[in-house]
Amino acid sequence: MSSNTPSSSAGGVGSADSSAPRRNSKRPKYSKFTQQELPACKPILTPRWVISAFILVSIVFIPIGVVSLFASQDVVEIIDRYETECVPQDFRNNKVSFIQSDANKTCTRRLTVTKRMKQPIYVYYQLDNFYQNHRRYVKSRSDSQLKDNSSWNDVSSCKPEDDSNGQPIVPCGLIAWSLFNDTYNFSLNNQQLAVNKTEISWKSDRDSKFGNDVFPRNFQNGTLIGGKSLDPTVPLSEQEDLIVWMRTAALPTFRKLYGKIERDLQPNEVIHVTLENNYNTYSFNGKKKLVLSTTSWLGGKNDFLGIAYLTVGGLCFFLALSFTVVYLVKPRRLGDPSYLSWNRNPGGQ
Amino acid sequence: MSGWDTVNLPLKSQPGSSRLKTVSRTVTLGRVQPQMPTFRTIFCNDRDANFAHRYKGNSISTTKYNIFTFLPKGLYEQFRRVANLYFLMVSILSATPYSPVHPVTNMVPLSLVLLFSLIKEAFEDWQRFQNDNAINSTLVDVLQAQGWETLQWKKLQVGDIIRVKQDGFFPADILLLASTNADGVCYIETANLDGETNLKIRKGLEKTWDYSSPEKACEFKGEVQCEQPNNSLYTFSGNLVIDNQTLPLSPNQILLRGCSLKNTCFIVGAVIFTGHETKVMMNSMNVPSKRSTLERRLDKLILALFCTLFSMCLLGAMGSGMFIDRKYFYLGLRENVEDQFNPSRRFLVIILTMLTLLTLYSTIIPISLYVSIETIKFIQSSQFINKDLNMYHAETNTPASARTSNLNEELGQVEYIFSDKTGTLTRNLMEFFKCSIGGEIYGTGMTEIESGIAERIGINVQELQTSTDSVQEKGFNFYDERLLRGAWRNEPNHDACKEFFRCLAICHTVLPEGDESPQKIKYQAASPDEAALVLAAKNFGFFFYRRTPTMIYVRESHVERMGKTQDVSYEILNVLEFNSTRKRQSVVCRYPDGRLVLYCKGADTVIYERLGSGNDYLNKVTRDHLEKFGSAGLRTLCLAYRDLAPDLYESWNEKFIKAKSSLRDREKKLDEVAELIEKELILIGATAIEDKLQEGVPSCIQTLSRAGIKIWVLTGDKMETAINVAYACNLLNNEMKQFIISSETDAIREVEERGDQAEIAHFIKEDVKKQLKKCLDEASQYFCSPSGPKLGLVIDGKCLMHALDPSLRIMLLTLSLNCASVVCCRVSPLQKAQVTSLVKKGARKITLSIGDGANDVSMIQAAHIGIGISGLEGMQAVMASDFAIAQFRFLEDLLLVHGRWAYIRLCKVVMYFFYKNLAFTLTQFWFTFSTGFSGQRFYDDWFQSLYNVIFTALPVVMVGLFDKDISPSLSKKYPELYKEGVKNMFFKWRVVVLWAFFAVYQSLVFFYFISASTSTSGGRPGKMFGLWDVSTMAFTCVVVTVNLRLLMMCNSITRWHCISVGGSILVWFVFIFLYCGVMTPLDRNDNMYWVIYILMGTPYFYVTLLLVPVAALLVDFLFLGVQRWFFPYDYQIVQEMHKDEIHGTGLSGLLESKHEHTAEVARSSEISRLPREVSKHSGFAFDSPGYESFFASQFGKYVPPKAWDVARRASMKSKAKPK
Repeated sequence: MSSNTPSSSAGGVGSADSSAPRRNSKRPKYSKFTQQELPACKPILTPRWVISAFILVSIVFIPIGVVSLFASQDVVEIIDRYETECVPQDFRNNKVSFIQSDANKTCTRRLTVTKRMKQPIYVYYQLDNFYQNHRRYVKSRSDSQLKDNSSWNDVSSCKPEDDSNGQPIVPCGLIAWSLFNDTYNFSLNNQQLAVNKTEISWKSDRDSKFGNDVFPRNFQNGTLIGGKSLDPTVPLSEQEDLIVWMRTAALPTFRKLYGKIERDLQPNEVIHVTLENNYNTYSFNGKKKLVLSTTSWLGGKNDFLGIAYLTVGGLCFFLALSFTVVYLVKPRRLGDPSYLSWNRNPGGQ
Repeated sequence: MSGWDTVNLPLKSQPGSSRLKTVSRTVTLGRVQPQMPTFRTIFCNDRDANFAHRYKGNSISTTKYNIFTFLPKGLYEQFRRVANLYFLMVSILSATPYSPVHPVTNMVPLSLVLLFSLIKEAFEDWQRFQNDNAINSTLVDVLQAQGWETLQWKKLQVGDIIRVKQDGFFPADILLLASTNADGVCYIETANLDGETNLKIRKGLEKTWDYSSPEKACEFKGEVQCEQPNNSLYTFSGNLVIDNQTLPLSPNQILLRGCSLKNTCFIVGAVIFTGHETKVMMNSMNVPSKRSTLERRLDKLILALFCTLFSMCLLGAMGSGMFIDRKYFYLGLRENVEDQFNPSRRFLVIILTMLTLLTLYSTIIPISLYVSIETIKFIQSSQFINKDLNMYHAETNTPASARTSNLNEELGQVEYIFSDKTGTLTRNLMEFFKCSIGGEIYGTGMTEIESGIAERIGINVQELQTSTDSVQEKGFNFYDERLLRGAWRNEPNHDACKEFFRCLAICHTVLPEGDESPQKIKYQAASPDEAALVLAAKNFGFFFYRRTPTMIYVRESHVERMGKTQDVSYEILNVLEFNSTRKRQSVVCRYPDGRLVLYCKGADTVIYERLGSGNDYLNKVTRDHLEKFGSAGLRTLCLAYRDLAPDLYESWNEKFIKAKSSLRDREKKLDEVAELIEKELILIGATAIEDKLQEGVPSCIQTLSRAGIKIWVLTGDKMETAINVAYACNLLNNEMKQFIISSETDAIREVEERGDQAEIAHFIKEDVKKQLKKCLDEASQYFCSPSGPKLGLVIDGKCLMHALDPSLRIMLLTLSLNCASVVCCRVSPLQKAQVTSLVKKGARKITLSIGDGANDVSMIQAAHIGIGISGLEGMQAVMASDFAIAQFRFLEDLLLVHGRWAYIRLCKVVMYFFYKNLAFTLTQFWFTFSTGFSGQRFYDDWFQSLYNVIFTALPVVMVGLFDKDISPSLSKKYPELYKEGVKNMFFKWRVVVLWAFFAVYQSLVFFYFISASTSTSGGRPGKMFGLWDVSTMAFTCVVVTVNLRLLMMCNSITRWHCISVGGSILVWFVFIFLYCGVMTPLDRNDNMYWVIYILMGTPYFYVTLLLVPVAALLVDFLFLGVQRWFFPYDYQIVQEMHKDEIHGTGLSGLLESKHEHTAEVARSSEISRLPREVSKHSGFAFDSPGYESFFASQFGKYVPPKAWDVARRASMKSKAKPK
């Protein structure tokens, strides 16, 4: 209709319309979509469904929980917290000045193996209260610089550790600057235990993020030394400690892989650790831990998953049970019209 | 309508019986009638002289924008939405260095949203523009240089002389000068203005009768002095100065835009008001851009989200202020630290971190919500509403049409319906349906109400009705063996029958037109009732075929013997006219044999007062019949006659002639004289005319009222007519306590006769106040008793005008809100809008107006939802409406099915959006606590920006389109389910809090489960995860959980649900595989490379992916199970009741079941009603014959031409025509 207001649709047009045979019917075409009749399954959450869903979950979850818990229990883990003990007694009141001094920071620890540990045994250091995920920290790095030698002076994102005396630092940024520099030496029965420090980072990082033609420059030669220095002759792709460190942790308490000991340890064997306690966690009261751990198929010693599975599974079982009891004691007949609100209070409000 | 002050309306519901609703404080209605003190002077036929006044042109524009205003205005409209404004702000903010996210992250979604909305607006406005164009380009003849020239409407100017041909519409408000009819008379149809289809008469001033030819018209140089444009349709004051003579003008000379010319070859007139200054345009208010209530509530929700966001940011910022410290040497905070991390300026740190966190948590405001909602609504309206076969009207070939897609869900929450009567509830078709002659009822038809009752007592209506479908003519829907084809001769009361038929054939002011054969003749009557009565006489064998000024010719059949016809001529001696005071009409006629008879027809009350003594039995029986007819919704008239002795008549006639020629108080004197002869009448019987309702109206009203919707009828008709239709529609019945506030009282009439306007106004106001107070007092005793009768209110326009006065408005509102139904009669278009606004603004209820004519436009625009009846000639109502349907009964589908679904779906969509964004953002929030409140983002930029747009966008649209709790037939079978929408059950703060609880719980699960489980390595190799590994793990869990949660809230799961949910999860994985798989040259600063492959290489990934979603959804599932089990919603019960039925019935099944379904509804509704008492309501309703127009009764100024004059003139005209 071109004319569709009263003022314009003349009567003549209207009557012509109605007398003309209905050639162009405006009847909408039928389709399941437009008539909203698409085939659908209409699940109704009946008590039976609720109970069976709960039972199903508990049947699946409890075994997984048990398996995960066992996996976690199989893992042998030795944790040694050393940040206080490795400060000489007379410095205990002023740990920060100790760590910043040039004093000898070597310290020995004895670790007793409780259970047989099968190789490989992973050596971790664990820091606490260290915000590797702080926004200022996370962004203080230059990925292009790490990856490619040609952009070695791309340090714009690295403030405040971008240059040293006007020379760009490679690797720049706070992350690299604050590289963890405690070192561990293990010996068993006066015999050096070799720590394998290769393959401790993810292969994708080594291959793609850290270039094999990028060498450290001007690193840690500023006034303040943040952490470990790097050997300027070794390309970044082989500086695995750096690579591990630079995969920033998600939480302020984190473990990072230090190396691997590739031999089995027997129960009651005593390991002597000679460590260089260089890293300053004292100014912010951070803890330092040395962790030796084996792994299971599910990784390190972590009961959380197993317990969570068991809890959810157990809860579901309990709910299924209580629903069943309620169902038997006080059933509601499905589709009972007397439950309709207008039937419950006649007269209708 | 603007101008509402603060409306404070606590509708207190009293405990126990919440029926008492009280209204406090003032409610102000806007839009005072413009008071224009000045006059305008128009020089007819002189464009140059008028030019100085710069009158507006005749082109109209209803568009919202033009090319220049489109962008600013359109953007303004868009930024009225808080969410859009917010995102604009965030986008700007994220371009600053304080932002942890890239600016594109926020800008891309915002620009997409704006673009989409603007295109939609532009398209809609373009359509309006084209419509305006079509109107503006309509052609009309304009006098130019001695001849008629065809010009477009928009070129018309004030003062132009134009010619409008038969059936043409008037392009502007015109002063009638000349007409092809004698006496400068023309007939117009005002259906577009007031919905009345009977013809109105307009008469030019005698002085201007001759200016009909172009040559003459050129000489016309008049000067019109008249009021400034205003919106009062029924008044006009002005003078025509011609040849130094000043002639007063009245509404009688004015032809309004929107009316059309009928029965007149052409008229010539002078344009006085053009374009937007015409009365009809002044009456239509500005098109308000309507937003649905749900959307406005959504703004509140968004506001609440803002508050949440703000407190989250504040908390985080405070934390950062406290956290930042030089002791964290690895953060490099020694010297020259930027302000946002400077430990020595902690306050600044707080402020700047606030900004950082604002951009970080911006995802809490769901920006794609509006786009999704608009898409959903658009498809709902264009695909579901427009294409619903149940709302397709085959007879007029009209499908339903949603003209806006903004209001779909509003349809699911309507509480008040304001309906026009003529054309909406009724077909404006009067049919002779039954009669009572000599104490016997004839006519076997059943009205819808009667068939409802019959159903209840178990009579098969179908069977009874088949026998009635025989003699059918438009206007005559009567069947009875005993009366038709002369069979009445065998009736015991055949004499009464004869008188009855003669009375029908003689006592009227109808004009026959066309060929004088029963098949071809057409009756021109002032009211369709009269035509129906004469038509009935014809069908009974008393064929009235010719009228002269003094004679009526009737071809009578079967009078002397069966089968014989004879032409009889009756001399009409006097006509005692109908008017609303007399409520009767009499004709004195002389038979060919000299018998003098007075035939009288009128309202039962007036006739019974004037009956002679004796015949008590007949009178009593007939009264019973009248009541029976009345309660069946029929319009009744009593017929009576009186034999006059010649000498008695002569002496009376002298008085009559004297009265007729008196100059002062002629009306009154005529009435007095009529009283002298209209007495000692003998009752013949009664007629019952059905004001044919639109199909399915009573059952639809019944269903809607079961759905908790209150229906008000607002009509320009007279009170009797309105009440009668209300009865027929079952809006009023005898169990109800009815309050009638009428201005038709003797006291008011008396004051009116004195003619002092100020006094009249004051008196009526006081009277209305008194009546209102009385009604309210009486009503309040019923408020408290839940078992008390339902209340009904009837009020007429004049009283309403005063009742809408600010001082009385609250009383009116209080009274009317407590009434089950309200009938307002004799109301003007503006009053209709005011009543609608009263409820909309005063009671804060969701209102719907439905109407078909231009007089309903303002009401349609004033209500939350306006519905136009389409498929008829006039389209003005449709153009102003939000939805157009062909039949009133389609409201059932529109509200109970589409509206309800749209509401439920939209609520689900909104809640789901709210939940998914909250859960997502809160995960981020918890992470903030472990980052030293630094505002480090947990997720990658792209995760965050695509979360809403890609990974969770589509499934929710599927819910918005396909979620279906119960089938359409069930929602109509259980209309009570609609109340869930009226009570807004699915969008309450309680629901919001519940969803918020789930979101909080889930986000805690996401964050803490994953952070707790990643404290050690995730697989044999003993390597540790970094930040991005953890966040990718968390994000994967979020996407999976949120998508699965969607499936849990579906009532029906189609294949599209599965595809979209599965697809969304799949798209996430595909995305992350690609995203992690390539090393882009761009510095992503993210180290996302290879993350997913590392993750998926560990068993930890799979174990966690199973655990976290299940643990997160456990509480939701538990809630759903418990809620359904112990506190089921009504729809859930209905689902259970019908769960074994096959839902996807084909179309044929659906259409078939519809019929039996409505019957079922009707029956069940009958059961709910109490047995019907004998009615006190006799159903008198009769449109005034004569052309007593709306004008006269409204303002009492303008004396209409006498019916008899009109009749005579018209008959002369028909005689003049060559045969």
